[in-house]
Amino acid sequence: MKKIIKLSIIPFFILLLSSCNDVIQIKLDEGSKLYVIDAFVNDLRTLQTIKVTTSDNYFSNKEAPPVTNANVVLKDITTNTQYTFTYTSKGNYTYSLTTTDTISKPNHQYQINVTIDGNTYTSLVVTQKRAAILDSISAIYNNGQGINIGGEKDTYSCLLFARDLGGPIPDYYWVRTYRNDTLFNGPSDINTCIDGTGGAVNNPPKDTIFFTPPTTFMGGETYLLNQTCKVEIYSVSRETYFFLIQALAQINNGGLFATTPENVKTNIITPAGIKPKAVGWFNMASVVTKTKNIL
Amino acid sequence: MPEITYCMKLKLILVNILFALSVFGQDKFTISGYIKDAKNGEALIGATVSKKGTGIGASANEYGFFALTLPKGEQTILVSIIGYKTFEFTVTLDKNINKTFELGEEGKELDEVIITGEAEDKNIKSVEMSTVKLDIKQINKIPALFGEVDIVRAIQLLPGVTTVGEGASGFNVRGGNIDQNLILLDEAPVYNSSHLFGFFSVFNPDAVKDVKLIKGGIPAQYGGRVSSILDVRMKEGNNKKLAVTGGIGTIFSRLSIEAPLIKNKASFIIAGRRSYIDALVKPFVKSTNPIKNASFYFYDLTAKFNYRINDKNTVFASSYFGRDVFGSDVFKFNWGNTTATARWNHIFNSKLFMNLTGIYSNYDYLLEFKLPQLKQSFVWTSKIINYSFKPDFSYFLNSKNTIRFGAQALLYDFRPYDATGQFAAGSKVKFLADKRYGIEYSAYLSNEHKVLPRLTLEYGVRVSMYTFIGKGKAFTFRDTVANEPLPLSETKNYSNGQLIKAYVNPEPRFAANYVINQFSSVKASYNRMAQYLQLISNTAASTPLDVYTIATNNLKPLIADQGSVGYFRNFKDNMYEASVEVYYKYLQNQLDYVDNADLFINPTVESQLLQGLGRAYGSEFYVKKAKGKLQGWISYTLSKTERLVRGISNDNWFYSRYDRTHVLNTSVNYDISKRWNLSANFVFLSGTPATFPNSKIQVQGLSIPYNTDGIRNNYRITPYHRLDFGATYDFKKNETRKYKQKIVISVYNVYNRRNAYSIYFRAKEGSPTATEAVRFSVIGSFVPAITYNFNF
Repeated sequence: MKKIIKLSIIPFFILLLSSCNDVIQIKLDEGSKLYVIDAFVNDLRTLQTIKVTTSDNYFSNKEAPPVTNANVVLKDITTNTQYTFTYTSKGNYTYSLTTTDTISKPNHQYQINVTIDGNTYTSLVVTQKRAAILDSISAIYNNGQGINIGGEKDTYSCLLFARDLGGPIPDYYWVRTYRNDTLFNGPSDINTCIDGTGGAVNNPPKDTIFFTPPTTFMGGETYLLNQTCKVEIYSVSRETYFFLIQALAQINNGGLFATTPENVKTNIITPAGIKPKAVGWFNMASVVTKTKNIL
Repeated sequence: MPEITYCMKLKLILVNILFALSVFGQDKFTISGYIKDAKNGEALIGATVSKKGTGIGASANEYGFFALTLPKGEQTILVSIIGYKTFEFTVTLDKNINKTFELGEEGKELDEVIITGEAEDKNIKSVEMSTVKLDIKQINKIPALFGEVDIVRAIQLLPGVTTVGEGASGFNVRGGNIDQNLILLDEAPVYNSSHLFGFFSVFNPDAVKDVKLIKGGIPAQYGGRVSSILDVRMKEGNNKKLAVTGGIGTIFSRLSIEAPLIKNKASFIIAGRRSYIDALVKPFVKSTNPIKNASFYFYDLTAKFNYRINDKNTVFASSYFGRDVFGSDVFKFNWGNTTATARWNHIFNSKLFMNLTGIYSNYDYLLEFKLPQLKQSFVWTSKIINYSFKPDFSYFLNSKNTIRFGAQALLYDFRPYDATGQFAAGSKVKFLADKRYGIEYSAYLSNEHKVLPRLTLEYGVRVSMYTFIGKGKAFTFRDTVANEPLPLSETKNYSNGQLIKAYVNPEPRFAANYVINQFSSVKASYNRMAQYLQLISNTAASTPLDVYTIATNNLKPLIADQGSVGYFRNFKDNMYEASVEVYYKYLQNQLDYVDNADLFINPTVESQLLQGLGRAYGSEFYVKKAKGKLQGWISYTLSKTERLVRGISNDNWFYSRYDRTHVLNTSVNYDISKRWNLSANFVFLSGTPATFPNSKIQVQGLSIPYNTDGIRNNYRITPYHRLDFGATYDFKKNETRKYKQKIVISVYNVYNRRNAYSIYFRAKEGSPTATEAVRFSVIGSFVPAITYNFNF
């Protein structure tokens, strides 16, 4: 929502006012150390990674300090199977998949246990959601106009043709878009939606519902000839959807309509009395993906 | 509704007693009537009528009506108001007299006029406190942003009034949120007082007659908001001759036309504005720039009509319609208010005046994304509609007692959202929130009582009752840990008009004035206010997309108690007015939000809301020079505003977003010559509180700021200060010609300061892991402007 407002205000401020953002130096207190568990596992047959790091001074320019001695275990509660992730580097713990199977399956329940220095941090139980249907990506020549914000002349915009499975349960999606394998991962690129549209549908039909704008604009990014546009639709839990929205709001919380800064939520539980505390997020996603070559 | 019936009965009895009283004692008679401006027939609100050489007198009400009861015999009477020549006359009172008085402006010759200094000490003698009246002439002289005079920006120069920053919608009064101000345009509530997000207000200064801001000691006839009343009265329209006023400015142009329909009996005014920055910019934008096809403008139209049927009956109809429009090929966003007021003034007898008002007010917005060639769209609308009916009576019992009583019924019709998504022809999805209805009933009775020659009391009570009614759903939520959305436990459907929840609040009001001597007085006041709707907004400045919510079975009404004490002193024959006031305000059920609140398109938005306590206290110092070539004011406010909400800031009191410890406002203007007037403002405000992180965490490649202490508003951004200059040039030909012209030159933010609106934290461009602190300034340089004004 903030993005909508921002989009609408940008031209106004550019033209009417000399509003400005100046990078400034300020001194901040240093907070106590936290463990950060970044566990977004999906059903793609690729290397699965869970990252364990610590929090850092806000102005630190380094990558997050890694935690190298953690024991990371993912549990499929439904089948009572355990997957142990092994440390590679930079705080990454990975699990290699066979080509015929995936760790994650829709409607199964999962949990992670991360043990550091003898203390075990456990996630809440997460159920993997059903996948959306991704029909196609369509490229439109912008003819120097349209939804492109880059200003480049011969650009193409991509539109997402996807469907939500209908029925009364709201489905939550995270639409991730790539240009030539580079994920658009800036704060304004996080594209989330409920039921493929602006909110949960009242009395939804049993059959599928098409995704609508602004989700189908896929962040409004533009592409040049011979580039590729790849899209991944992650089916996430309701809680993950709100976590992403919250993270997005906190990462670039400027402008006239900034929200009250707050700490993002976590679904990682720290046992009572244990320090440092662990924060972070665990999600299991069903993913559908498609690639479009702009020709 | 037992309370209402009881109140109505009480009122009937009271009216009977009052009528009975007025029949007795024929050794006294009443002089009553209207006080008007001789030039254009506009009613003069607050003009005083007094018996010469005594403190006995009466003030004209909002319609310019007064009544003064005096003993039989010869009486010398003065009719006066600041800025006008005092009218003095002698009558032999042997019967009730009804008369319309017309006052000429100072400096112009009129028959039967003697200049005296009466009424200039009204600030000392009146029981009103924490109240500021700005007349439009005064507002016109203040240097303005983009050279455009603006009422809401002008009142932000007054003590106790602040804003979170430039461009923020609305204003904060004595630590109150923006939705705690009852903004009335000819008695119709205005829900969004801003154009262009917050740079301009919806009030067209050419159509405004009188502006009154009441911050404390709020009289019983007002209710519904807890922090202040901004009562804006529109001009009635010149009933003597055709008058045209207009202006061409940097941002927009204005035009207003007023004229008599029947001389001295019926007149109208119609005033419009349209901004044209988008049209001006278009030629300079490349065709490939998406701004090329963007539209962003606003317009508004204000109109009023009045007809004086006879001495006893006058009717008024007024209306406002305005819209802001933003958009491009694929995106459309517009919003606006519509208000309409119909009024009937009736004089029952020389002592009893009635105003009957019917009000309609609507605020709505539309947001649309579309791709017409593919028939894809998403359209979202939201609406608040108000219907209200309100009889108000002024009963001028005798020279010692003026009684006011009345009632109001107000229907809230809320349509939080109505959204439709379309992917292709025929494939539509609906998101529809249930409508919500509430009715606010109130009745009030108050008396302004001159107990002793030096002591005036105003005491009264307003009883408000609110019912949350069907047709609609009522939700019940289970309790959970603090600062988490409440889980839904039950949904119940209610039929049309069925009561879901009722709240009753007696709201006592009290004000006292003790006149120490001719030049000084001490005043005190207390008021309780109840508010049955609140704005849902967790952003720094309210956005046009924010929706109000009415009190429900879950959301309790906001209650505020405020006490204030003040010392008022005039110097040098009323040339200088000075006052010191201290206040303390305590709020219950102040709205806050759970972390990561989901406030848009959420049918159970109440589950995201928290209610807590608020307190605000401070002292306001004010000196005004009201006469002479140099005029203006200087004010200083020292204050604190805090909140306490379970689950936020470790359950401790925290500073509210709009807390400003020190506020200094200076506004002066100086008449150099007949043609040149210079003006300046200087303001200094402590920086607003802000929450800064003390660390960051990385998730999915994103650096997220984190505060391990959990304290809200733990820092303060840099102070805000600004100097503005203005100069007005009156053309020489004005003296002889009917067509008068003026050039207004202004420079806003003269010394080019980049005042921080906020300090925020973000990922560095191109490197999501590296982070930086950023100062956001809405206005990053000085802003010169020139405006050409005319009238004839």
